[in-house]
Amino acid sequence: MAAVLLRPVLTGLLKHPAAANWATIFVAITIQAMPFLVLGVAVSAAIAAFVPPGVIARMLPGRPVLAVPAAAVAGAALPGCECGSVPVAARLVSIGVTPAAAFAFLLSAPAINPVVLVSTAVAFPDRPMMVLARLMASLVASVAMGMLWIAFGRDDLLKARRAPDGDESGRRLTRFLATAQHDFLQAGGFLVIGAAAAATLQTLVPRDLVNSIARPGPISVLVLGVLAVLVSLCSEADAFVAAGLKQFSLTARLAFLVVGPMVDVKLFALQAGTFGPRFAWRFSLATFAVAVTSAGLIGWWLL
Amino acid sequence: MSEDARATTVLLVGALMMRLAIGGAYAKYVRTGMGPLLLVAGILLAGLGLFGVVRALRRGGRPADADAHGHHHGGRIGWLLLAPVLALLLVTPPTLGSFAVSRSAAVNVTSGGKVFDALPPGRTVPMTLLEFDERVEDHRGVSFGAVQVRLTGFVTPSSDAQGFRIARYQIACCAADAVASVVRVTGASGSRPARDQWVTVTGTFAPTPDRVPELRAVSVAEITTPLDPYE
Repeated sequence: MAAVLLRPVLTGLLKHPAAANWATIFVAITIQAMPFLVLGVAVSAAIAAFVPPGVIARMLPGRPVLAVPAAAVAGAALPGCECGSVPVAARLVSIGVTPAAAFAFLLSAPAINPVVLVSTAVAFPDRPMMVLARLMASLVASVAMGMLWIAFGRDDLLKARRAPDGDESGRRLTRFLATAQHDFLQAGGFLVIGAAAAATLQTLVPRDLVNSIARPGPISVLVLGVLAVLVSLCSEADAFVAAGLKQFSLTARLAFLVVGPMVDVKLFALQAGTFGPRFAWRFSLATFAVAVTSAGLIGWWLL
Repeated sequence: MSEDARATTVLLVGALMMRLAIGGAYAKYVRTGMGPLLLVAGILLAGLGLFGVVRALRRGGRPADADAHGHHHGGRIGWLLLAPVLALLLVTPPTLGSFAVSRSAAVNVTSGGKVFDALPPGRTVPMTLLEFDERVEDHRGVSFGAVQVRLTGFVTPSSDAQGFRIARYQIACCAADAVASVVRVTGASGSRPARDQWVTVTGTFAPTPDRVPELRAVSVAEITTPLDPYE
């Protein structure tokens, strides 16, 4: 019934060119990202259901200074978005991996895995360097955060670990499908927010204002870093939104792609729930600064 | 979200993707090459949703195992997926129109520096607006000769004293990355077509002092929106 009432209202709205423009871009971004979202959640659910969680942990070196870069690189083996990497990082900590390495993994996995890099390449067909820049800037930022935790981190900031989840039983196929459904709804819901934000930006923001923010320089890098935090995109879909933010320089859009998978509103909530709020806000602020700096430097060098 | 609501949402999204891919309406929003990808994604999602619906029905209202263990990270965020579903089912947003022409970055055809062979004489050549603009930039349009070309685009507002302008978007992935090519049409008889009206114009290239690519039209025909509205 709501649909019957809504239809004339929406149809009337679409007669306004700006509203029609918003709706088209909103729907376009959502549809465009769907196949990659589906690919991402399928692979991540398969890993959750069929790969023993200890496999990655056993590959890490014993010394924290070596374990951090190794864990950051190992992030490439977990194709998924940031919602998936928080529980994995929490489990790594609980089975005795040094927290610094677990955090490097937490930050790198959503940004440097093949699914994200492939969708970045698809979103930036004329800019193959964007993929390399994203990979390098994300790795540098993840390793830097791990090293910072070794130097300054305090384990008492971490909430005491809750007991391990009890639903390891059950058929693997059922677990696979349940995880896929959960991941899809989670990531898809946030994708809708991101698409709406990007469509609003493209439709409402006056050109001269956008142009003043979008001129080359550190401010635009900071602006898109903040935007990445606010829109909380899934890392499997953010490259398409970044491709649409074409008023901004490539370095600024790189900052969007590097910051987004590491710090955002949704991730903050997940981290606060898993590791405790005292940890989450310190960690997120530091990660934001490190990620923007890394993106700025790598972008200045490569793009 | 309850388990059946979650499964139904996934099923709805999957069914809608299949409908868009099979019916061809997806071309309003994304590159045409993405059709098969959308279809596969839609089939997988519909299957996943069906599995969930069947499971929820079998369980008959009892809470899922995961809920009993205190998992609540499903959250309400999934409801948002119904927003694009509703938008598409109720109103079907149109193809990108003239509103965004002045807002998208202009095509920078000068940076390409393409060189074109002369058009074959004797027949009318159908051409994209992008190619028309590129040919104009190549030695001031010598490759046109006196050959007639046919362009298809939608009418976009301008302050020109004579004629009107048509535009068409190129998209790399989806409508969010659209970039417009614009051509001025002069010499057409009759009234100026309405804004956003799609037209096919036939005519010859005319050099202009203000560097706006211009077509001197011999005929203008109003058409319905093409199935693939982007170049």
